[in-house]
Amino acid sequence: MSGAGAKPFLGLAHVSKLFGTFRAVDDLSLDIVEGEVFALLGPSGCGKSTTLRQIAGLDSPDSGTITLNGNVLYSAEDDIFVPPQKRNMGMVFQSYAIWPHLTVAETVAYPLALRKVPQAEIDRAVAETLEQVGLGGFGDRPSPTLSGGQQQRVALARALVYKPDVLLLDEPFSNLDVKLREQMRVELKQLQRQVGVTVILVTHDQSEALSLADRIAVLNAGRVEQVGDPVDLYENPVSPFVRDFIGLSTRLDVEVTAVHGGEAQIRFGAGGISLASSALRGGAISPGARLTAAVRPESILVGSAARSADHNTFKATVETLLFVGDKFECHLRAGGDALLAYSSRGERLREGDTVNLHIPKEALSLWPK
Amino acid sequence: MAEVGAIRALVPSALRRIRPGTVGATVVLFVMLMLVAYPLVLLIEASFLVEGPGNTKVMGLELWRTAWGAPGMLPSILNTFKRVIATEIIAFPAAILIAWAVARTDLPGKKLIDTFFWVAFFLPALPVLMGWILLFDPQFGLANQAFVALFGMEEGPFNIYSFSGIIFAHIAARSVAAKYIFLSPAFRNLDGAMEEASRIAGASPLGTLRRIVIPVLMPAFLITLCISLIHSLESFEIELILGPPNNFYVFSTKIYQFIQEDPPMFGIATVLGLAILVCMLPLIFWQQYLSQRRSFVTVTSSFSLNILRLRGWRWPVFATIAAFGTLITVVPVIFLVMGTFMSLYGHFGLADAWTIEHWETVLTDPPMVRATANTLMMGAAAALIGVFWYSLVAYISVRTRYRARGLLDFLSWLPASLPGIILGLALLWVFLNVDLFQPLYGTLAVLVVACILNSVSTGVQLVKSNMVQLGRDLEEASFIAGGSWAYTFRRIVLPLLGPVLIAVALLTFVAAARNVSTIAMLVTSENRPLAMLQVDHIVDGTFEAAAVVGVLIVLLTGCMALVARLVGRRFGFSGLR
Repeated sequence: MSGAGAKPFLGLAHVSKLFGTFRAVDDLSLDIVEGEVFALLGPSGCGKSTTLRQIAGLDSPDSGTITLNGNVLYSAEDDIFVPPQKRNMGMVFQSYAIWPHLTVAETVAYPLALRKVPQAEIDRAVAETLEQVGLGGFGDRPSPTLSGGQQQRVALARALVYKPDVLLLDEPFSNLDVKLREQMRVELKQLQRQVGVTVILVTHDQSEALSLADRIAVLNAGRVEQVGDPVDLYENPVSPFVRDFIGLSTRLDVEVTAVHGGEAQIRFGAGGISLASSALRGGAISPGARLTAAVRPESILVGSAARSADHNTFKATVETLLFVGDKFECHLRAGGDALLAYSSRGERLREGDTVNLHIPKEALSLWPK
Repeated sequence: MAEVGAIRALVPSALRRIRPGTVGATVVLFVMLMLVAYPLVLLIEASFLVEGPGNTKVMGLELWRTAWGAPGMLPSILNTFKRVIATEIIAFPAAILIAWAVARTDLPGKKLIDTFFWVAFFLPALPVLMGWILLFDPQFGLANQAFVALFGMEEGPFNIYSFSGIIFAHIAARSVAAKYIFLSPAFRNLDGAMEEASRIAGASPLGTLRRIVIPVLMPAFLITLCISLIHSLESFEIELILGPPNNFYVFSTKIYQFIQEDPPMFGIATVLGLAILVCMLPLIFWQQYLSQRRSFVTVTSSFSLNILRLRGWRWPVFATIAAFGTLITVVPVIFLVMGTFMSLYGHFGLADAWTIEHWETVLTDPPMVRATANTLMMGAAAALIGVFWYSLVAYISVRTRYRARGLLDFLSWLPASLPGIILGLALLWVFLNVDLFQPLYGTLAVLVVACILNSVSTGVQLVKSNMVQLGRDLEEASFIAGGSWAYTFRRIVLPLLGPVLIAVALLTFVAAARNVSTIAMLVTSENRPLAMLQVDHIVDGTFEAAAVVGVLIVLLTGCMALVARLVGRRFGFSGLR
């Protein structure tokens, strides 16, 4: 369902948007495939919401082209702008935008009435969609009396009922509490698989993007940093921004001591701890070069788990232990540098202990400073 | 498509960028400039025109020099400020105390007290004044008669036609009530957690009041004070009735007197009005500064009220406030109604003291019938056109990126800061001296324009704040669902704004029906509404007829105000979140 090579469905080409002199969206190009869940991920102010609003037609770019299924929605060159009501898209707003004067059924029927659907057909479609989002029997309730989670379901039903070409979700879960958020994620994914609609999701929450999306575009300062499937982004970030934005990692200042083949030998810390790395991410790597090494906490093996390794091991002191339920979060110090790693519940470490650590060489990536 | 492209290519791109919305907004701005700015400019220009050789007008400072010599000119300015300061020194602290007691103590009967002040706020000043005259007139005032009868005094101690009488009338009219209504939300919305945090940090209740409550509420106090001072300066009708017998004039009644002269002393009146405007400028700028700083108490959705227990003081405090509430609402209305049934106003000792003759004559009196029709038509027209106009201005200001919307905001806000009499004077200039508008003089249209301007600031502000609350995404959700602008306006915007639009229409009607100061100089015998008819009756000394007209005005505005409040309650606060 995902991946390159598939026929582009929704395309953005060289889209830019200026607010005064601030480039909210800067020469942004994306190709979204039919039926996929595509996430726009980035910190606030990265241009992801503006991009979504441009796709919806609520904002107009200053330059570039937006096409849907071969039809031009926006083109600066040809002075084309299709207004939002003609784009046949659905959208769930961050605030849900629930109309306070309508009942649940009236709200969901609204887009159908606009499309001149016969009343009997409207009633059937509304009931079916409400059933789908888990609000069967809520039709007669005034929308404002619903809870936040229920209001979101109404917003979702309103966006899906007319079978839009694209479903746009603007930070859809940010107003829900943690438990409900996780539940809605699962439901949304199931619903999308069932309906098959193309979804574009805007979020600043990486776990939301990683768990829901088939592909993710990481945005920074109005530009695309990287596009890829979640696992690929997590494991092979192409820029320091993506590396630091997705997942946690410990960064170390290191010095290259030797290079052979695709591997580098590096040294860090006051005691000159020596490790090998086989994940070279660019920059001039030669003996004496000073670089940044990065490692995910779950890639570091701690204590007994590290014992079987015969290389890339070193000792560290446990400074702080945080029990987070399924594991311990270990804040360690080695050669003066701080490291983060996880240890299993069975490990029984204590603060002040000295432990063995092992970092597989492919898990230690080297970056230009 | 090819033809469209060809036509497009012919139109310069700069022109294509001018959208119909921008054109519409510019038309709205132009009308506002004509209605608000242009009359003021004419007024200022007029004050610098002097008779030149051969019936020409030339620029000069002649008027500004000679005006000060006009009889009563300087005293009227001094009197204005004397009166304002004396009123506010009493009314402001009283309103703060009452608003605080109602919002933040366990006072009983809060709803009743709240109602008293809302009623007092909506009661028109003149009818209420009629009630006070019946009580405190030096000759026939009932209170004076009672003192004479009870204590054998030669004459009663009260005289409403005096400086202190005028101050009393102000305090009993809107002075305290308006401030109470302004201050209550600030007191109510103050998050109790702020006070609790201060108490836990070790401050006493009094220390908390001094260090937390007062500083936090200070912006609300200041803006209330500022607006009260401006409104107080604008006052007209109380002084118009109570001032002249005592030869006490404030600037507004003085302007009115100058214009009533034959021939009217336009020039001097203009100079006086502008002089007062100059005096008010610091206040106007201060208000602008305060309201732009927006440092009001933040409203939180889940705040707790820190209710102070009054213990033994509960009932005494309630009795005091309730007595004041009764005094400013029930008492004058009772005496007003009583006055309509008296053969001779205030003379209870007559053999046939009571009669319904006044109701009969007044209800069949042609000027009276005409005045009623005038008030109804004027109010309805002002309300309907006003609501439409205020919504347009508010929409441009809130929902568009129109470049000159700052100027539009200023123009819609300015009339509230202009004394009605000055606005009236400026409009009088326009309708007398501009050829295009001259034919309208003496018609109801003139009064309708005046009334729309009189309510423009409140109206636009109300619609704007509700529009902001609405949230743009409610409209956007409809666009996405496939709705056009017109469909969205009909199905989403209008139903949600409907209640506030009805409320604004009713409030505009009420303001029009009770208005005296703005229209006083624009009225002729043809377009005279009820409020001016009452003024004329009082000035003529036909108090009985004046009382009947007063009751009619109270009934008319009272019903409208009640509906407005119900609509506001029903939808304004519960429907929108």
